[in-house]
Amino acid sequence: MSSDVARRRPSPAARYRRTLWLLTSRDLKVRYSTSALGYVWSILDPLVMSGIYFFVFTVVFRRDVGEEPYIVFLLSGLLAWMWFNGAVSDSTRAFLREAKLVRSTKIPRTIWVGRLVASKGIEFVLSLPVLAVFALVAGAELHWQVVFFPLAIVLQAVLVTGVGLLVAPLVVFFRDLERATKLVLRFLFYASPVIYGTQNLPEELHLAAAFNPLSGIFGLYRSAFFPDQLDLLEVLVGAGVSLLLLAVGLLVFRRAERAVLKEI
Amino acid sequence: MAPAAPPSSVGTAPVIRVDGVGIRFRRNRRGRRSFKDLFAGSARRNRPGEFWALRDVSFEVAPGEAIGVVGRNGQGKSTLLKLVAEVILPDTGSVRVSGGVAPLIEITGGFVGDLSVRDNVYLTAGLHGMSRSEIDDRFDEIVDFAEMADFVDTPYKHLSSGMKVRVAFAVISRLEEPVILVDEVLAVGDRAFREKCYRRIESLLAEGRTLFLVSHNEKDLKRFCERGLYLDGGRLVHDGPLQEALDRYAADHPPRPTA
Repeated sequence: MSSDVARRRPSPAARYRRTLWLLTSRDLKVRYSTSALGYVWSILDPLVMSGIYFFVFTVVFRRDVGEEPYIVFLLSGLLAWMWFNGAVSDSTRAFLREAKLVRSTKIPRTIWVGRLVASKGIEFVLSLPVLAVFALVAGAELHWQVVFFPLAIVLQAVLVTGVGLLVAPLVVFFRDLERATKLVLRFLFYASPVIYGTQNLPEELHLAAAFNPLSGIFGLYRSAFFPDQLDLLEVLVGAGVSLLLLAVGLLVFRRAERAVLKEI
Repeated sequence: MAPAAPPSSVGTAPVIRVDGVGIRFRRNRRGRRSFKDLFAGSARRNRPGEFWALRDVSFEVAPGEAIGVVGRNGQGKSTLLKLVAEVILPDTGSVRVSGGVAPLIEITGGFVGDLSVRDNVYLTAGLHGMSRSEIDDRFDEIVDFAEMADFVDTPYKHLSSGMKVRVAFAVISRLEEPVILVDEVLAVGDRAFREKCYRRIESLLAEGRTLFLVSHNEKDLKRFCERGLYLDGGRLVHDGPLQEALDRYAADHPPRPTA
């Protein structure tokens, strides 16, 4: 038995990955085991939203934004937006909701943010068949730019992680930040090319839009069906901003970690 | 069991090394914070409304030692335990623990009400670093120890509070870690199960694990520990054989002031 005490331990990186996966799968398991509809819920929200925007912009107003088929255009932005929105708004409670767990294990603290990014990201990937079905039904053409899809996912993961690492520890000290984040997210929904494309913006706003990393990321996703939505400047600037946010997020997280652990 | 090792024993590398550790907390939880505080070097600032829960605490623990921490409430005992478990980080000094720690602190904290006992065992053991196959090997043993064989597929939230603690203790005490931290969790559960827990701790000690126990119960302390740390006012006042620490504690704070 005493030989077990000195058992070999996995490398920190392997342990990090394993723990991250453990918590992520727990998140998904809890979500799907507590409600009968499970998976359907995670795609119902974007579907209802798409339905509403589709109705408003194709039936009520005469729309001149986006591209045809508009439902595919909408969904290809909205599904990715749900990932961003879900992970960032959940990260405001990353520590508070799991306070007991954080207090009782010494796993690297960035995992508490990472698992939100991962579980929402997996939900996003699982919702992609819905996009495929709509593309088929609406007759959207698939282009070679679909190869950018994985790149977009990586960029978005970087961005969401960066924002999450920034928000999660600060909310512990400034509870108001939780509400502020929700407000900013609502603003950002309309400030990002979800229901429209960046080409629909007035010329003078194009550069400003490029500094919203979501512009480049959504452009990459959309280029699979709408190659015109791809804008190299937006992608490059967006990637730079995403990486910068990740660096700042890591820095803030590290500086605040000690105080966070005392506070919760 | 080995006789009490003197505090400064050399020879084997220490398994726990606490060096000049200090940690500070805010007195009022709702005190205002500014961004400036957050980013100022943590060792340098000293603002009103803060107090040192621990200050300049240094000691080393050799493998296989059993250490009891004594002191009145609020003198930093649990804080010290959490520092050794590395679930909070010191403001000054350093804590080094070689190998892993099995913390019997807030043991039910990691359990999720909506998941079954089985899922929870895998989750908690996994969070403490056990691999899936290791848990597979020990699963039956854990369930047997907790006397929960009939409840493995019951949602955790439907268990009684005593059962919850039993499951949690069974999992954490099964972790193959060289250091065990115990923070008075054993006050819960019925007498039979408590005795079972004590026997488990004894068998772990016999296997050569290191024990770090915080308790107010002199009988428990004497049962397990040879060496005592006495904390008072956030400082390590005495470090030596347990009986000395207990005597010193009793002298400073007479248990029956009116007697």
